[in-house]
Amino acid sequence: MTDYNFIGKRIPRVDGLAKATGKATYTVDVKLPGMLYGKILRSPYPHARLLKIDTTAAQQLPGVRAVITGEDVRQVRYAFVDTPRYPADEQPLAVDKVRYIGDEVAAVAAESEAIAEKALSLIKVEYEILPPVFHPEEAMQEGAPVIHDEQFEGTSFWEEWGVTEQKKAVKQNSAVNNLSGHTLISFGDIEQAFRESDYCREDRFELKATAHCQMEPHAAVASYDPLAGKLHVWLSTMGIFLKRYFLSRALNMPASKIRVHHTFVGGAFGGKIDLFPYEFCAAYLSMKTGRPVKIELDREEVFMTTRQRHPIIVKIKTGVKKDGTILAQDIKVIADNGGYRGSGPVVIFLCHGFSFPVYNVPNYRYEGFSIYTNNGIRGPQRGHGAPQIRFAIDSQLDLIARDLGLDLLEIMRKNVRKKGDVLPNGDQLNSCGLTECLLGAAEAINWQKKRKQFRTMENAGRYRRGVGISLCSMFSGAMYYPFASAAVVKLHDDGSATLFTGAQDIGQGSYTTLSQILAEELGIGIEDVHVVAGDTELCPIDLGSFLSCTALVTGNAVKKAAADAKRQLLESAAELLGVEDLTRLKAQQKTIFLEDNPEKTLSFSQAIQASVLKRNGNPIIGHGSYKGYPRAERYPSLAKGKGLFTGAYGFAAQAAEVEVDTFTGKVKLLKVVTFHDCGYPLNKTIVEGQIHGCTSMGAGQALSEEVYLEKGQLFNPSFLSYRLPISLDTPESIEGIVATIEPSGPFGAKEVGEGCVAGILGAIANAVHDAVGVRIYSLPITPEKVLRALGRI
Amino acid sequence: MQKIEDRSETKYYLITLKVNGDSYTRAVKANTLLVNFLREELDLTGTKKGCELGDCGSCTVLLDGKPVNSCLVLALEAEGHEITTIEGLSQNDKLDKLQEAFVENAAIQCGYCTPGMIMSAKALLTRNPHPTEGEVREAIAGNLCRCTGYVNIVKAIMSAAEEQQ
Repeated sequence: MTDYNFIGKRIPRVDGLAKATGKATYTVDVKLPGMLYGKILRSPYPHARLLKIDTTAAQQLPGVRAVITGEDVRQVRYAFVDTPRYPADEQPLAVDKVRYIGDEVAAVAAESEAIAEKALSLIKVEYEILPPVFHPEEAMQEGAPVIHDEQFEGTSFWEEWGVTEQKKAVKQNSAVNNLSGHTLISFGDIEQAFRESDYCREDRFELKATAHCQMEPHAAVASYDPLAGKLHVWLSTMGIFLKRYFLSRALNMPASKIRVHHTFVGGAFGGKIDLFPYEFCAAYLSMKTGRPVKIELDREEVFMTTRQRHPIIVKIKTGVKKDGTILAQDIKVIADNGGYRGSGPVVIFLCHGFSFPVYNVPNYRYEGFSIYTNNGIRGPQRGHGAPQIRFAIDSQLDLIARDLGLDLLEIMRKNVRKKGDVLPNGDQLNSCGLTECLLGAAEAINWQKKRKQFRTMENAGRYRRGVGISLCSMFSGAMYYPFASAAVVKLHDDGSATLFTGAQDIGQGSYTTLSQILAEELGIGIEDVHVVAGDTELCPIDLGSFLSCTALVTGNAVKKAAADAKRQLLESAAELLGVEDLTRLKAQQKTIFLEDNPEKTLSFSQAIQASVLKRNGNPIIGHGSYKGYPRAERYPSLAKGKGLFTGAYGFAAQAAEVEVDTFTGKVKLLKVVTFHDCGYPLNKTIVEGQIHGCTSMGAGQALSEEVYLEKGQLFNPSFLSYRLPISLDTPESIEGIVATIEPSGPFGAKEVGEGCVAGILGAIANAVHDAVGVRIYSLPITPEKVLRALGRI
Repeated sequence: MQKIEDRSETKYYLITLKVNGDSYTRAVKANTLLVNFLREELDLTGTKKGCELGDCGSCTVLLDGKPVNSCLVLALEAEGHEITTIEGLSQNDKLDKLQEAFVENAAIQCGYCTPGMIMSAKALLTRNPHPTEGEVREAIAGNLCRCTGYVNIVKAIMSAAEEQQ
């Protein structure tokens, strides 16, 4: 099973040299002849009615080529979520109201950035200030300011894709004010189960907004060719086909008239999948001026006006038996999605979807609300709901363990799901290494020895140490537009191959792992694989680099395409070698040989030539495709959690050791451990790299990261004040790979690199409790919160 | 330095900068940042801009061998100094040891921080060929990376240092 040439090997990144020499081109590096520069005027108010916009002076400024406002694009609506139940609520430029500080009001294209900037200052806007609301629980109350009072119908994105069965969906539960999404899922009988429980506990947890901090700022370049009627765009994005779809809907253009060109992406982490107003405006301004237009956001705009992670309130009631077996769980989640829906209805669905594969909870009720407020818009961020919900559930489980005098490890072990389990929605766990992950992580953190809970010793010293652990899970792709990934493998005369894939390498290493899959399946070297990717014109459809689908879904498509090319190659070779049974032929190192007579060989080149000259002229092109989730017909219901979610779940157990300074309240992260079940690791180095990134981001979210908002105003829109981890913050890191084999994955692979941001938060919170005996219910765990909990301030 | 005015009375200064061994003469405004000079005037886009506030280090270049955030240096100030960018570190396919070490040690993911990170490391290894891990971490503390948690970056710099011995 492990007798591979490339799979599982530590192959260096195929794009490493381009990146190490500064030759890799990112969207911010794209410069076209005659290019104009765009800038966006934004609302300084969190909630206001637009009375009048006067752009006359700006239009007259020399060097200004176009100024647009909401009047120009009144009819345009789009959104990350656009379903019959949740129709699109975003507009590229505000039409009637502005709904958060930073909301787009007008856009300018000019000969230089300086002129565009100057032009913005000449636009006069009159506002009528409206009462704002910033806290979701207040926004839900009757009488709170209504943020979206407009009525809009219209077709949803999905209707043209034949997924309209639930068209009758009731739009919104109007009992709750400012509701943007609602999810209700239940199974079993929780009331009965709570009565039968030996112990019940209710807690409330809270997490603040966080920022993605992609190092490359958001940017777009658009160039419209009026003669061909074609729009060329360069976007810093995670999913070129989804972006093209959004753009085609927003611009009312056929998808084929838009071409997304490849660029390298300087980090995404979920924050570059929505269609943004700056992207739409770059395209629109290019169409209006007939010139290429570039819009690059500055760092403050990235923090304020792209996307943040949802701040979430989680209330949980859990009932357990004396031995810690979970009988029932009642979870309520409130997500603040800001001034527009963003991914609100998705995150409240995924708080369920990314968590329920972890423990077997027979009686369960989950209710999620996503709420409009006058804060910035929230969207997907690595783990998309998983960090928030996993922190809450495993923090509470740790409390329950302490209340009952049990070992958290044993409680987790008792309740985790296992291979072969069928989840309540019908998803199957055909691979699940949760128990192995748990035991591995516990051993690596030295659980039995270091867990202070087990020691009666009252540590009176200033610095106190403790350990904690938490678990997480993640999808490996799902049914989302374009619902499948495809790949094309084109062979060259010399036996090497070009892979055409719509997948975008956003840093996770997909060009490398996909090359490994191709090389392994076809029988060529890594250096023989050329990757053409991330271009909607050249490449077949792809789900994109989100929902952790690349390894499993795109990986399968590539494997099939390579197998298809190989079959054609072997057919050609069989004729030349006079062999009838293709299974007698093997291919390795660009050579075909008879397995029972390895002396008899044929090069790939010869087989390709023969295919062209002696057979049907076929130069050999392999095709492959794989559905987002082959067993599922359509996307699952966000509101009811019905339908199949994903073909395979990745799992991880994560542990942390901390040292708390009881004088200053500062928590120092000493050691993090991640044991990851990612199926079979396609490339161990890349898997470890993904774990490093996840744990660093998770540690930041647990200890320091918070988008600090006061009355809708962002107080720390810079790296310096936002405090993401720097090189001096890195703890000792241990990564364990629990290699299960996912039967549906290419060479057994599944999700890696997204889920394991989520376990770190709970692991650190539990470790802090272990160290100093107090629970911090809200993240980040700042020194102030620790000192308050300790009663020192 | 020679001053030129255009018809709208905007002032430009004629400067000559030495970048990667070559001299370039351009007319720039007083507020032109070195990073923009490199990227826009010379098309040396290997130097990245992450924040333009001096926080992220993506735009790190060497000024007389010392690492600076090129978004905090005016193009005018750079006259008379030797500037080295990531493009000046390798010649055709001959890479700097650090570049090789970054590839070999998987210190690169999205790659956006990489040029700045390598330039900071280059300055470190030039002034201190055998740094401790702590010194390496200190030297890149002004270079942010969101992908790698810095684990493999530190490893790569240490391994390049060892190789120098």
